[in-house]
Amino acid sequence: MLQINDLNVHYQSKQHPVHALGPISLSVEEGGIYAVIGPSGCGKSTLLHALSGIIVKYSGEILLKGQPLCPKTHSIGFIPQNFGLLPWKNVEQNCLLSLHIKKVGIDSKVRERITYIMEKLDIASLQHRYPNELSGGQRQRAAIARSFIMNPDILLMDEPFSALDALTREEAQELFIAIWNQYKVTTVFVTHSIEEAIYMGKKIVIMSTSPGTLVEIIDNPLFNTENLRENEDYLKLSGHIRSIIKNGWRL
Amino acid sequence: MKSLKRLYGFLQGFIMLNLLWYLLAVIVNMRVLPKPTEVYFNLDRLYGMELCMHILASLYRVAAGLGISLAVGIPLGMLMAYSKLWNRILNPLVYFTYPVPKTALLPIVMLLFGLGDTSKILLIVFIIVFQVIVSSRDAIINISPEIYNPIRSLGASKRQILMYITLPAVLPELLTNLRLGIGTALSILFFTEAYGTHYGLGYYIMDAWTRIDYPSMYAGIILISLLGFTLFILVDLLEEALCKWRF
Repeated sequence: MLQINDLNVHYQSKQHPVHALGPISLSVEEGGIYAVIGPSGCGKSTLLHALSGIIVKYSGEILLKGQPLCPKTHSIGFIPQNFGLLPWKNVEQNCLLSLHIKKVGIDSKVRERITYIMEKLDIASLQHRYPNELSGGQRQRAAIARSFIMNPDILLMDEPFSALDALTREEAQELFIAIWNQYKVTTVFVTHSIEEAIYMGKKIVIMSTSPGTLVEIIDNPLFNTENLRENEDYLKLSGHIRSIIKNGWRL
Repeated sequence: MKSLKRLYGFLQGFIMLNLLWYLLAVIVNMRVLPKPTEVYFNLDRLYGMELCMHILASLYRVAAGLGISLAVGIPLGMLMAYSKLWNRILNPLVYFTYPVPKTALLPIVMLLFGLGDTSKILLIVFIIVFQVIVSSRDAIINISPEIYNPIRSLGASKRQILMYITLPAVLPELLTNLRLGIGTALSILFFTEAYGTHYGLGYYIMDAWTRIDYPSMYAGIILISLLGFTLFILVDLLEEALCKWRF
């Protein structure tokens, strides 16, 4: 479980200190998948950076499995908007990066997992290609494979599908949900698409304007529903979220 | 493949240059400017141990000068990129000394370190090390901060960040540096080998010049150019081997 208590992030801009985020308190259940949606500049990315150990100057508490969050002791999968593949490593090396950094030995069991995930995400045939030889969708699948291969305590994704064109996006979302259902990694992802939040979030977290706080946490019964748009509840839920947005990201 | 293309480009350039040279030699028709054919037919005079000694002497000086420059310059550049304090201390020094024409220091270097190889190599280092420092520092500063994020969230150590991000990110820049350095080092070589030595291609050219042995002089010029070209191709091959993702 991920427990966030009274999290505040400040940073020093050129003239004055800026309150970027908080206070935020939230518990993310084990095996949950949380979609964070909020206005641009509200600190969604800042939240993910704090959760991934990239920002270390914050007040409050972030506990993962009862321990203060630390990238060295915990295993954190982080997929940034540009997918974060290293340009000088080929797909295979990129996928193994997390294991190498964590100094995990690659035995037959791990090898099996790697092969399975790469095949499932359809990148096994691209192993020896470099990121600049891949399409956006292929890069993203490599990034997802990298995260699932390391079997993280938590997976964080910053607008993971926004760089893809509409058709690739739908395919990628389905593929992600398929592999996620298999491993049930606790996931927090940021999105600016209401539809994506409803399709992919078991819970939908709505944030306020800057400095971002929590407006509402919605239990989403429509998670992983097929033919989402034709569902009556979908219209209701997206209508509700839209009304919050129209109201200036307030209830 | 890139090296092959360059080789092809070189051959084209080589043929064009020789044609121009030949035409000029025919038009000018003086002893100072022999035809390329005369020079090439005279190349066989150069074969043997003595020529090897000249080439090796020059190669040794260039390699040592470049090696020391990289070994000193890259760590210093890194230090300046990653530590604000060290950048503040070293930056004024680097910027003040950068534009000083170091060849003017040749007499001082020779007075302090003698006429031997030490002073020749040191002069090469003095000239090249500053550009290595500045460009490796700037290359590191120019790495997009985002690229560190995924590896940071994995809890990478400083050494791992260096191995997985910093070095590969600046490698192409460093190889460009090496290329520029080779050109510069060869020019300096010609200058420094004019004094206090009887070996080296620079010496060989000067010596042939004073003996008014023009074919030999031209042979020396051709050889020093070939040496530069060979080193260039070697750096290309190195880049293809080390920076596979760019090809």
